[in-house]
This record gives sequence, C-alpha cells and structure tokens, in this order.
Amino acid sequence: MGMYIIRRMLLAVPLLWAISLLTFILINLSPMDPAVVVLQAQGVPSITDELIERTQQQLGLDQPFLVRYLNWMLDCLQLDFGNSYITGQSVWALIGPAFLNTLRLTLVSAVSIIAVSVLLGVLCALQAGRVLDKSVRTLAFILTAIPSYGLAALLVWYFSVRLDLLPTSGMDSYRSYILPVLIITISYAGLYFRNVRSSMLSNMNKDYVLYGRASGLPERVITMHILRNSLQVAISIFCMAIPIILGSTVVVENVFAWPGLGSLSIRAILSRDFPVIQAYVLILAVSFVIFNAISDMINAAMNPKLRNGL
Amino acid sequence: MSKSFAKIMLLIALAATILSACSPAGESSSRPTASASNNEITYATAKDINDMNPHLYTGSMPAQGMVYESLVENTSEGIKPLLASSWEISKDGKVYTFHLHQDVKFHDGEPFNAEAVKQNIDAVQHNAEKHSWIKLSTKIVECKVIDEHTVQLTLSEPYYPALAELSMTRPYVFLSPKDFKNGETMNGVNGYHGTGPYVLTAHEPEQYATFEANTDYWNGAPSIHKITAKVLPAGETTFLALQKGEVNFAFTDDRGADSMDVEAMKQLEASGDYQIVRSESMNTKMIVANSSRSGSPVHETAVRQALWHAVDRETISRDIMGGTETAANTLFSSNVNNADVPLETRSYDLAKAGSLLEQAGWKLDAGSGTRSKNGVPLSMSMYYDSNSSSQKIQAELIQSAAASIGIQLKLVGEESASIANRRTTGEYDLLFNQTWGLAYDPQSTISGFTSENAYLHTTQGIAQSGQLYEKINQVMVSSDEQKRKALYADILRTVHKEAVFIPLTNGNITVVAPSNLQHISFKQTQYELPFELMSFQ
Amino acid sequence: MNVWKNSAMDKMGQLSLIVVVGVIIAGLSAPVLAPHDPLAVQMSLRYAEPSWEYLLGNDQLGRCILSRLLYGIRPSVLAVLVVLLLSVLIGAILGFLAGYFRGKTDTWIMRICDVVLSFPGYVMTLAMVGILGVGLENILIAFVLTKWAWFARVIRTSVLQYTEMDYIQFARTTGMGHGAIIRRHLIPVTFADIAVTASSSVGSMILQISGFSFLGLGIQAPQAEWGMMLNEAREVMFTRPEMMLPPAIAIVIVVSAFHFLADSLQVALDPRLRQSGLQPDRLPDQQEVAVRL
Repeated sequence: MGMYIIRRMLLAVPLLWAISLLTFILINLSPMDPAVVVLQAQGVPSITDELIERTQQQLGLDQPFLVRYLNWMLDCLQLDFGNSYITGQSVWALIGPAFLNTLRLTLVSAVSIIAVSVLLGVLCALQAGRVLDKSVRTLAFILTAIPSYGLAALLVWYFSVRLDLLPTSGMDSYRSYILPVLIITISYAGLYFRNVRSSMLSNMNKDYVLYGRASGLPERVITMHILRNSLQVAISIFCMAIPIILGSTVVVENVFAWPGLGSLSIRAILSRDFPVIQAYVLILAVSFVIFNAISDMINAAMNPKLRNGL
Repeated sequence: MSKSFAKIMLLIALAATILSACSPAGESSSRPTASASNNEITYATAKDINDMNPHLYTGSMPAQGMVYESLVENTSEGIKPLLASSWEISKDGKVYTFHLHQDVKFHDGEPFNAEAVKQNIDAVQHNAEKHSWIKLSTKIVECKVIDEHTVQLTLSEPYYPALAELSMTRPYVFLSPKDFKNGETMNGVNGYHGTGPYVLTAHEPEQYATFEANTDYWNGAPSIHKITAKVLPAGETTFLALQKGEVNFAFTDDRGADSMDVEAMKQLEASGDYQIVRSESMNTKMIVANSSRSGSPVHETAVRQALWHAVDRETISRDIMGGTETAANTLFSSNVNNADVPLETRSYDLAKAGSLLEQAGWKLDAGSGTRSKNGVPLSMSMYYDSNSSSQKIQAELIQSAAASIGIQLKLVGEESASIANRRTTGEYDLLFNQTWGLAYDPQSTISGFTSENAYLHTTQGIAQSGQLYEKINQVMVSSDEQKRKALYADILRTVHKEAVFIPLTNGNITVVAPSNLQHISFKQTQYELPFELMSFQ
Repeated sequence: MNVWKNSAMDKMGQLSLIVVVGVIIAGLSAPVLAPHDPLAVQMSLRYAEPSWEYLLGNDQLGRCILSRLLYGIRPSVLAVLVVLLLSVLIGAILGFLAGYFRGKTDTWIMRICDVVLSFPGYVMTLAMVGILGVGLENILIAFVLTKWAWFARVIRTSVLQYTEMDYIQFARTTGMGHGAIIRRHLIPVTFADIAVTASSSVGSMILQISGFSFLGLGIQAPQAEWGMMLNEAREVMFTRPEMMLPPAIAIVIVVSAFHFLADSLQVALDPRLRQSGLQPDRLPDQQEVAVRL
C-alpha cells in the first residue's frame, strides 16, 4: 500500500506541473498588458510608453517566457499570487478566507450527499423494479433537471419567507447552511444515488452472493456483504464530489450571498481582476488533483486489486 | 411504469400548484416587522465596505461618510462649519485659515488638532497622482500649523471651489495620525479611527461591517446606536431579506444602482412595514461617449447626436423608473448652480437621428441592417453596471431603438469597478455614468473633463477641446461671479453641441426604511446619508 | 440490435425522444414558428399578461415571451448539441486511434486526456470567460476543449473491448484493412456507448450554459437565451413570479427529457451488453462526473 501511495503521488506531480503551465499560458493570453493594468491599478493618471517599459522591467515582463514562468511558479508556491487589480489587497488575503468558506459548505454538502445517495441507492436497489424504485428515479430525473437557482428561489421563498424558519442568506449560524446544503444535495444526490444503486445491483448478481445463498447464509448477512462492497462506490463518490462541488457552488453562493470562492470568482471575472481569476483557477485545479489522488488512495486501500493498476 | 409514473406526475403537479397558490403578495401580516428593531439599522449593500482608508478610493463612501469628517460641510444653504468652526480667506484668495473645533477627539482618543490636520493633508498631497481629479490637490502649496487649533492652507492661485472640494467625502477627511504607516496613508493604514458619529467596530469581509454610535461625538451622540452594513447581492435577495426583517434599510448605492426594482419597493411600502423616501434630484444619469476613440464611430459628433435622438427618455422615466425619475435633456438640470443655460432640446426622434447619420455619410446596408461608412460598420460597445437591473433594461431599450436606425450597440455588463477603470483608460465607446451630485456639480464634474480618472477621454476628441480646457481652467480661478457664469455657459454649450454626455434621467437617492424611522434626510452628495440624524419613533 | 427501434426503448424513452426531436425542430424553425420578432421592443406591453396575440405574455421590454422562448432553443439547446457533436467527433477520432492502434499513440493520447481531465471543466470555462471576456462563444469553446477527453476515453475503452473479440480478430487475419474494420465492425458497436455517454451529458451541459447566462457570463443582450430569461425574471421574482415560469419549465422539460432518454438508451443497450458477456455497469471512475452549476 505504501508503494501505491508513493506511486500515486508521483503521478500527480506532472499533472500539477501541467496545470501550472496551462494556467500561466492562459493568463498570458489575456488581451491586456499586465504593466498597463498595474499602472492603472495604481491610479497613475497618464500612462506613457516610457513608463510602461519601466514597469515591464520592474515586473520582469521583459524576460523570456520560461524565466517569467519559473518566477511566477516560485511565487505561487509561497502563496504569493500578487495583488488584486481592483482593491489592491493581496490575492491570497482575498482567496484564503473565501476558499475556507466554500470548503466548509462543500464538506457539509458532501456528507449530506453521501448520506442521501447511500440511503436512496440501497433502498432502490433492494426494491429494484418496484414502485418505490421507479418513483424515486423519476423524481430524481425531474429534480435534477430544475436549474439550481430556480430551486433555490423556491425553497428560500417557502422556508425563509413564508414559514420564517431559516435565514434568507449569509453565513451567520448553522441554520444558514441548511438551504444551500439542501440545494447542492438535491443537485448531486439525484445523480449519485444511481451509482450506488447500480453498484448494489451488480454486486447482487455476483458469484459470491449466489454461492452464499446456495450455502444457506441468512439473507441479512448477504445484504451486509453486498452493502460493504457497494460502500466502496459511495466512498469514491464522496471523494470525487468534493472537488466538483468546490468549484460549482457558484450559483448557490450567488443566490445565498455566501462569501465564498464562487462569489469571488464571478466578481473577479466581471471586474476583469486577472490575478484573482488566475489564483482561483490554479487553486481549484490543484485541489481537484489532490482530492482525486486521495480518492484513488482510499479506493485502493479498500480494494487491493486496484493497486496493480498503477 | 407508466401508471405509477402518471401518479407521480400528478403528485408533483399538485405540490407545485399548492406552492404557487400561496401567492407572495398577500402575506406580510404574520411577519415580524422590520420596525421592531432595537434601535438598530441594518442596511443591505451590494458590495463590501472594502478598504476604509479615507485617502484612497476603494472604500464604500456611505460607510466612510459615517466614520470620517471634513473641515467644512456642503449644504443646500452653502458651505457650513464642521470640524472647522470658522475660517478666513485672504484677500488674494490664496490663503485659507481654519479655526478648528476644540475638544474633538478621534475614535482612538487622540486629539483632533492642527497638527493632525496638517499630517492628514500632507499625506493626501504626497499621493498627488491619485487625487488629480480633484483640482484642489494640484493647487495646495502648504499646510501650516498656526497654533493648537488653527491651521493655514496656502494655494498656488485663487481657486473658488476650494471649500466645496474640502467638504467632499474624500480625500480631505481626517484619520487619527496614530493609524498612519510611517507618516503616510498611501500604503495602507493601521486602523480606521475618524472623528465621525459612528465607529467601525467589526468588519467581516464580504459579509458585514458594524458601526456603533460614537458616544463622545463632539456634535452629540447619534440616536441610532448601531448600524450594520450587510453584503447582499442586489435584487430578490435584498427584497426577501427586507421582507423578513434580516435587513431593514436599503438605499441607492454610490454608483447610482438601486438594489431593487420599483415594483418590489412599492410592494414593501404597501405592507406597511416600510416607507420609501426619495431625495430631490441629485444628479444626471447619462451615457458617456468616448469622443477620443478615433477608430470608433463614436468619435463622430453626428453619431453621438443621432444616438441622443434615439433615447426615449419619457419611456425610461415613466415605464422603467416607474415615474420616480424625470427625463433629463441636459447634462445638468437647471437647478444646478451656473447651469441654467438655454440649450437646444434633442428629443426622441428616430427620423431626425436617421437623417443626421445619412448626412454624415453613414449609409444603410440593406443586408445587415447596420449602417456603414468607408467599410466601417456603425457598431459600438456600451458598458453597463451588471448590478443595476434598470441600467440593463435601459440599455436594451436604447439598443433596440438604435438598431432600428442602423446603429449596432453591443451591450456588456460589468462590475462598477471595471467600468470606472474603463473610464480612466478610455477602453470604451459608450458607458453608463452619472454626474457627481449637487455638492460637486457643476464645478467638480466639469473639472473632471480635464482629468484622466474622470472624463478626459470623453472630452478629448471634440474639435475645440483645447479651448474647452482653457475655459475650464479659467473658470476655476476666476473670482468674478459674472465671468464665471459666462464661462460655464460656454463650456456647457460646447459639450452639449458635441453630445458627449447623453443625458437620460435626473437621478435621486431612494431610501427604503422602517416605517417608524424618522428624520430621514439627505446630504448634498449622493454618496452618503446622515444616519446620525435619524431616530426611531 | 437496433437501438433506435422503438421496441427497444420503454414508453418514457419514446416520449422523451419525441420531446427532444420536437424541441430541436422547433429551434431550427423558430423563424417560421415564432409569432413575433423576438427582439421587437414595445414598452406599452411591458409585463403584459398572456393574450391571444402573445400567448405567453410579454417581458420587461414588452417583447413576446413565446418568440423568445422559441429562439432561445438555439443557444440553450442547439448550441449544446453542436458542441457535443464536435467533442464526440474529436473524442471518437482520438479514441479510435488510441484503442485500435495501441502502443505509443495510445499512451500519448491518454496522457493528454489525463491532463485535460484533471483540469476541471467548470474551472476551465470560468478561466476562458475570465480571460477572453464574457460571451456564449467562449463558454462553448471551453466546453469543446474539456469534453472531448471524456469521449476519447470512453470510446477507447469501448474499442479496446471489441478489438479483442473473435470476429474482429478474425477479420484481421483475413487481411481486412484497418479502415474497413473500424468502419464495418467497430463504429456500429461502439456507437451505442457513444450515444449513452453523449446523451447523459447533454442535460448537465444545458443546465451549465443557462447557469452561466444566469450569472451574466453567457450570452449578451438582446439575444434570447433561457438562462438569461430566468436572470431577467429573477429581478421581479417576487412581484411577478409568473415571469419565471416559461423559461424554467422549458429547461426542466428539455433536461428531464434528455435524462429519461439517456436512461432508456442505457436500458435498451443493457441486454445486448449482457449477451456479449460484458460487465453491464460502468465503474464510477469511468463515468463522467456531472457538474451542476
């Protein structure tokens, strides 16, 4: 297992490097000269060509691409992503807290997603083909087809305004989590419970189940076996879901005024705040790779067969 | 499958009907009302208060207005004392001597005295480039301490709007010298201690900021003891939060964007929990045309004039603004000082607009429906604030009218910071903007014509820009009232003729407040509200 | 064998197929079907209630909602299908190359896929929009740039499975050309996998596009798009909640139709897969992870 972890981590390194290169290239595609942008951010009233040249030198922009890339990467490794063009604050000071807020929402949602997915998946698998199975699946198809902002609006209006049970927005107490988590859960559990279900079903047809039945094991014990094997799917869903949700809470954050990465990134895009966009892209891509690696490791720990895949 | 499915669909349909049957209109009676608020105001703001450093420009102005004060105050009756209880101006108009209020303290207990004034003004002057839009910053030669409570400001030449510019929300306001970093404020500050009626006590970025009443306020402690600025995206979230009482106050933000549409406000008012208070007309909302953009059709006077004729101001005022704002036909409304100049009214007239374009050589291309001249299509980009729903609707209305006469407008919604940035760099054809408000109009807005961070790009491309700038410089240093009037009239005639500022409506500040909140008034600037005067019944 | 035969799909699948085809036709023939010009502003009809002339009423600028809904099919649904087609095409070519020829080609193509897939799609989209500017085209480009890798991987796996099968091995030994084998034997059988994978990602893509428009990052005014229409309705959500309904219902219907269709396709394909003795369930890590905005 130790070897596997090392090999898996080594595999992530070239990926991380490719991501950093891609991000850097992306930012260099930006139609604006970084030197001009920096001068603007400083509020310099008249930007002359001479001034631009001087700033380019100061910022090291006159150096070859590879040198710039290396410098940039070294800065990033120290969490120095430069300063926001709009507020002048350091990008990390903006993104750090936002990242934590989104991570909190994500983790709570992931737990809720896995609980709901496993519950529904197991129920549907045991009842496969019957009314319960069909109705849950039909309902899931329709619920996941509702745009999350429509769903959010409806739920906020009903629970917060009409019933006056929950806050409409913000991040004040645990009650603020309920609605956003509920909406994220509906969006994802409606997709993921089908994975649990189909994994349960395929386990049910496996030889060990037939053998167990034939040798007279109690049905309860067999179900437990199936459950244990199917849980693996659930765990891998859990790990996969985290980085996905991390980046896709944009709409929910927008509707609930959640002070997270999603809100930050939209604001940055609409105000063309390139350093923030760049850091956002980099941080999310890196966490995607890291969570994927963790997910693979957990899977491998549970299923030794997978370790040979590397 | 099909039978159970039908049942499920029926159930869903039923649930949906029940949910939607509970119409939101008739259900405010059970709600805990907004007025039951322990002497606190929580206002909704689309943006975080940001950096409260009063000598820079990223902070929220209404918040800075609560915490910091200037030497003098601009009121409807003219300049009045604030931190300076009296002042004298030398005969040549160059030396201003201010006598400061005694026993004023900063929020951190530091005394407010002549030394503090000098340090603050020096700190602002050290960052002169940033403040070039405010012409006073280019005229201050020296700030001298005469005694503990007397300070003297020397200008390079007489400058008649000096006091008006000293009264602005920023940058000539005062921060405790203890908060300075190495004697400066341009590289950030250590704290936000002003002299104003409210003290910033907590700030959770992107969430909220709280301001508590300054019990030692030299002008008497304010009645509302706590004000919270809560960050909420505009629109329905704000409306819900108001309806629920999570916030109980909302007002037009410093970029002129209202957080809610007119009907939503009316609905809140109808519930009885809220009142709507509107200020008199404060500014002119307008489209600014970048005359200096040589590659773009907007460079041409005829195009700008045609666009002016393509704006249906009556419809904007009546239908989009719900009658809350009046149509504007000139850059400044006639109640602005020195701005009562007779100017030709360019009304909504698509035929006229079309013939102006035709005369200027823009020929309609039957295929695309867009005009072009020498192969250049008559196409321009128009930027609006993505937080303002009314700007977007206005933009689409204008876009549609313009399309009918062969002008193609591309609409781009961006954050207000980005739009301000475009105005500075000249990267725009057309953008939504507003004049700076009664306290600043016309002198500061007009000075802005010559400043890069304001309207330099807008005015630079017109034929007589050199003369225009010369006149602007003259008017600011002229001490003769009659001469000034004549110069202002000249300036306004020029920009009107060139149609670089295309007026839309006369904007005001709208406040949505709990119905039992009294003494809601307005200042001469659209950027702050006098919270210290308000009280609950 | 033939998936498109009605007998292979359940009733829900058939209905969904009809809905999907109907919507596509409606979108293509919007100029004929739409009763009015979707861009015609008429302020006197601002927020007008449904009437015989304007069946779904009018929006904040007095434009015909029904016409906008019909024209909105183009960016909301047709654009997604075009993007999908492009991604499938790129993915199929590379997937076939990798799966059929194996060796170095395979290794390289799969490494590139790994990199692309490790760069989450929505982040890529936001990055593109952030750097190249707001607009539908940039979102669509970002979609193609990230989606093809999924198809390449799925198609490669599927090709790998079939190339090992006896009849293909037999065809090889009889000296049939590579092109002919791919054309005659591989494309037909892998087509099923492609159809399932593609149809299952349409729904989430439609929701994503409308989500981006809703946030103001997608299509720009005055063009009609469902997410944009929702965004406009959102401003008056609590004073005129009925404005939300047409675009919201349209999205729900189309997306659920695609969901049901994908499901039916998979079920319809299952027996065939079982008969050939293959694992009927794809492992979760081979399945595309849908992003919900």
